[in-house]
Amino acid sequence: MATYMDVNRVQYVAFSGTVAPLSKLYFCRHCLKLRSRDCVSQEVDSYYCSNCLENMPSPDAKLKKNRCANCFDCPSCGHSLSTRATSVAFQDPDNPGKSTPKKVYYLACGFCRWTSRDVGLKDQLIASGGWQEQENPNEKRISELLDYYKHLAQKDQTEREKKKYSRRRSYLHLSEKFGLTSHAIKKRSALMGIGGISIKDDDLSVDIEPSLAIDKVEELPDDVFTKPIVLTDVTTIRQRHANPDFQPTHISQLYPRHKTMLIKRSQRCKECEHNLSKPEFNPSSIKFRIQLVALHHVPEFRIMSLPNLQINKEVQLILTLFNPLDTLTHVALLPSPTDELKWDTAKVVLPTCELVLSPRDDTAEFDDTVDQQQNFKDDPSVVVSRKSNKIGFIVKVTPMIADDDVRISFIMKYDYKNMTPALQTEKKQPEITWLQFPVLVNLGKITG
Amino acid sequence: MELHDIYYNKPEYIETASGNKVSRQSVLCGSQNIVLNGKTIIMSDSIIRGDLANVRIGRHCVVSQKAVIRPPFKKFSKGVAFFPIHIGDHVLIEEDSIINAAQVGSYVHIGKNCIIGRRCILKDCCAIGDNTVLPPETVVPPFTMFSGSPGRFDSELPECTQDLMIDITRSYYQHFKANETRK
Repeated sequence: MATYMDVNRVQYVAFSGTVAPLSKLYFCRHCLKLRSRDCVSQEVDSYYCSNCLENMPSPDAKLKKNRCANCFDCPSCGHSLSTRATSVAFQDPDNPGKSTPKKVYYLACGFCRWTSRDVGLKDQLIASGGWQEQENPNEKRISELLDYYKHLAQKDQTEREKKKYSRRRSYLHLSEKFGLTSHAIKKRSALMGIGGISIKDDDLSVDIEPSLAIDKVEELPDDVFTKPIVLTDVTTIRQRHANPDFQPTHISQLYPRHKTMLIKRSQRCKECEHNLSKPEFNPSSIKFRIQLVALHHVPEFRIMSLPNLQINKEVQLILTLFNPLDTLTHVALLPSPTDELKWDTAKVVLPTCELVLSPRDDTAEFDDTVDQQQNFKDDPSVVVSRKSNKIGFIVKVTPMIADDDVRISFIMKYDYKNMTPALQTEKKQPEITWLQFPVLVNLGKITG
Repeated sequence: MELHDIYYNKPEYIETASGNKVSRQSVLCGSQNIVLNGKTIIMSDSIIRGDLANVRIGRHCVVSQKAVIRPPFKKFSKGVAFFPIHIGDHVLIEEDSIINAAQVGSYVHIGKNCIIGRRCILKDCCAIGDNTVLPPETVVPPFTMFSGSPGRFDSELPECTQDLMIDITRSYYQHFKANETRK
């Protein structure tokens, strides 16, 4: 739906103040607060290749610079390359004049017809791997710098360890930035061996040459102004940026690149550090081990019908309200006390009575006979429709500003049966908490 | 926004016992090879080529106007062979799209005017933006949206994509109503 319908019409305000549609929010069961992408900590669970859907452990991914070992991207259009097999006649060295057919493989793009033969890469005798990698001209310098910074970090850490011996563990995550943990552990075990005597080996420091500015820049070739440019042979910005270490300018320099990997992430509440969402490990699985999305815990508003909006004229707007919970839910709508977000451009008259929502029932779809209408004593001037766990109700809106979107806001208050403490203390009765969330609705432009 | 009612002329659609609604103006070739698992809507001018290979479409799917579903083929040294196409549950295919995929998972949304190349694999819970061209043999992983030409990773989808797609296709079916008064 996020891709089919305009979900941004009705938005909720998360605890941090971020405004987002309900489908992009999380609900922390432990703090009972709405969390947005900005107020959760993101953790990378696994790396996977979007083409072969294979997992890669994170140290491996780091080593391979977050790229898949087997899959390549087309340097010309960015689509994944596929391996093609063909047979080529090989000359037998012992027996000239006689040729034997041999199966060889090359990479080809199914979209732009680029092949690895275009840049003169040799065909391979095996179906996967064996492709010669381009060597980065700055490889040496980069590894020098990397060594230097690793050394610095290590030195930093041993010093810190000396200072705060008791707290050294909490800094482990910092050294992780340089891929140092295993290094540091080795170091530390060596330290233990010599009984806490401080080491002096730091002084065999790695020296790096400082970068130097050059006075003279290589001159442009003479024919730069006279040679006509063939635009079809010049690479696009996108092609250059896909290959930052070489930035090819001519299409003959386009080499296949290993495919960048995607990640599976889990989200954690920053306040209570409980997991809010944890996907299964398998990249093609859509199941979650933990999934506390707001859509499952917070009643959802939608705009049913848009009336003809006219300035300073009160119109009736029908909103629908869904109950995602499997308990009877009472919802009250309160006016928002302060308009900090400068959202409102219209006056709104909210229903004063409580809206009662029947529990969500997944079997209701298969059972058309039950009519629940009688069970609720709805005010017909407020509630216009009721079907299983969904109601439609009337809100009166008066647009106040002519040349802007008509926007209203209110606070939704509902009773939430909190199962978490009941589960923890083995109490039978769930706790009932009243939750309040601000809701923002955008009705669009004035029509009349 | 809530979906609005879409009315169709009652005589134009055939409704089966399992709730499929198939337009008489659609072209179903080799209908003995086409399986619709119930509550699926096939709209007018859409083409399903069951004569090439088996086509299996799950529950609560929507195939919009002028969409084409065509089993993919593979070239071999001795001619070509067609492969069956499987489409999961709660899949929404919008107008003018051409599907040549080997597999379309469940809870997938394919936008308008797309071309899904031969033997593509669309995993569960993914989306294809409008006017996308997916080259042959593209894999679209779960919770990703692909768009552009060639179709590339565009953005991530929310964790609750499954619930959203179930909701969309269900309410689409509920709002797809017969208009008996108009003739």
